Amino acid sequence: MKWIRVRAIAKRHSFALLRAPQRWFDVAIWPCVDAVMFGAIGVYFSRQAGSETNGVAYLLTGIVLFHVLFQAEVSLATGFMEETWSSNLLNLMTTPLREVEYVAGVVLFGLVKLVIGVGTVTLVAIGLFAFDVTDLGFALIPLVLILLLVGWSLGLIVIGLILRVGEGAEILAWGLLALIMPLSGVFYPVSALPAALQPIAKALPTTHVFAAARDVIDGEPLPWEQVGLAAIGTVVLASLAVAYVLAMLRLFRSRGYISRHV
Amino acid sequence: MVLGEPVLRATALQKRYKRVQAVAGVDLEVRAGERVALLGPNGAGKTTTLMMLLGVVTPDTGRVVVCGHALPKHRSQAMEHVGFAAGYLPLPERLRVREFLELFGRLYGMSDPTPAVQLGLERFRISQLASAMGNELSSGQRTLVGIVKATLNRPALLVLDEPTASLDPDVARRVRLGLERLCDEEGTALLVTSHNMVEVERLCERVVFISSGRVVANGSPAEVAAHFGQTDLEEVFLHLAAGTDSDGERP
Repeated sequence: MKWIRVRAIAKRHSFALLRAPQRWFDVAIWPCVDAVMFGAIGVYFSRQAGSETNGVAYLLTGIVLFHVLFQAEVSLATGFMEETWSSNLLNLMTTPLREVEYVAGVVLFGLVKLVIGVGTVTLVAIGLFAFDVTDLGFALIPLVLILLLVGWSLGLIVIGLILRVGEGAEILAWGLLALIMPLSGVFYPVSALPAALQPIAKALPTTHVFAAARDVIDGEPLPWEQVGLAAIGTVVLASLAVAYVLAMLRLFRSRGYISRHV
Repeated sequence: MVLGEPVLRATALQKRYKRVQAVAGVDLEVRAGERVALLGPNGAGKTTTLMMLLGVVTPDTGRVVVCGHALPKHRSQAMEHVGFAAGYLPLPERLRVREFLELFGRLYGMSDPTPAVQLGLERFRISQLASAMGNELSSGQRTLVGIVKATLNRPALLVLDEPTASLDPDVARRVRLGLERLCDEEGTALLVTSHNMVEVERLCERVVFISSGRVVANGSPAEVAAHFGQTDLEEVFLHLAAGTDSDGERP
């Protein structure tokens, strides 16, 4: 892997963000709206309950951590979509650029977007609801790392789907997360889900991350068994995602799908 | 590469898309410094052949070797020696011309692509476009920028798909002169597809005609025209497009 190519791709995507105001919707506007909405819902239900509960903390921690997943996935998927939108795939595929270098470059700049997006949610939560997610301490580190890996894995799956079926799959960059969010118990325990959905929820690594975060909010130590389950699930998901995107890339080359993108 | 050494060797390439046999056994060799045109009517299999030579499409059977590197296993190393531009490719919208060229210079491994970018812009006399955004360019200007991009890495093999399709005669002439100078000065081999037979006769010393996925003629423009009993390549093209090709032998 050549670092100069990775940096070149990251720089190319920095221009795409800086010069396209609409791209800031994912990175700044949506995080801001989410923080205000879920913070306000938390405050309202806490007042209805008539007592001090952790409602606001559950909701705001949930949305901050969800934005780690969201920004990781969306930055990778939309980074690739930027190439399809500008018909740049053929240009890239006829250079020495390797697939792993391309993904590394998009992920590298995706980390910048992630810092902006998650930073926005965090600052809004502090400023408007006096809630600081960093109070969770070092427990955040393994939880954020797992969500990053899950987000990148989902991003690879979306890229694989775009390679397979074309631009019609682009909606899944956001749609996949809309499926994952309720099933992962971002704001509530799995027991609150309908019984039929609970086995699916428990199979998702993200579910265990959000459950672990709620334990920490309740003042308990980080539940390592939940973190372990999440880590195992993440390794399985990441392996499947890499295998899937490589298989779709082989299919893309074999069936000449580049003709869809010129 | 030493002049005369093969920079590209493709043997027995075949590609089928569902019920269509796009390429049905193409052999092609291009030597260092050679200027070769790949010609044929629409649907003859030119672009599929080019895509296989570039590693973008995997052949069903056959073998492609670029500068000693076999595809697809050594695609990245092979592409270090190749430049590619197509007249139909747009430039990314949110990049200035200089940024676009520097991006691709770095993808070719240049730590400082600025001198190569400057040289390329001057070679094709478009230095004034350096600060323009990609979406501000005319189709002809985009084509020129694409060709500059393709020559940044001083490729041993320059592959151009329909490079003059959107160019007026003056700009097309400028492109041809720029390419001739590049090939003469740097020993670059050129493989070009075009529907402009006059341009091809001026630029290329050898033409390979493809029809229905097969090579039906391979030689100098005069040899190919004589082989089909025609006066020039335009007539050969019309002859093949009308489906009157019969023997499939090479001159």
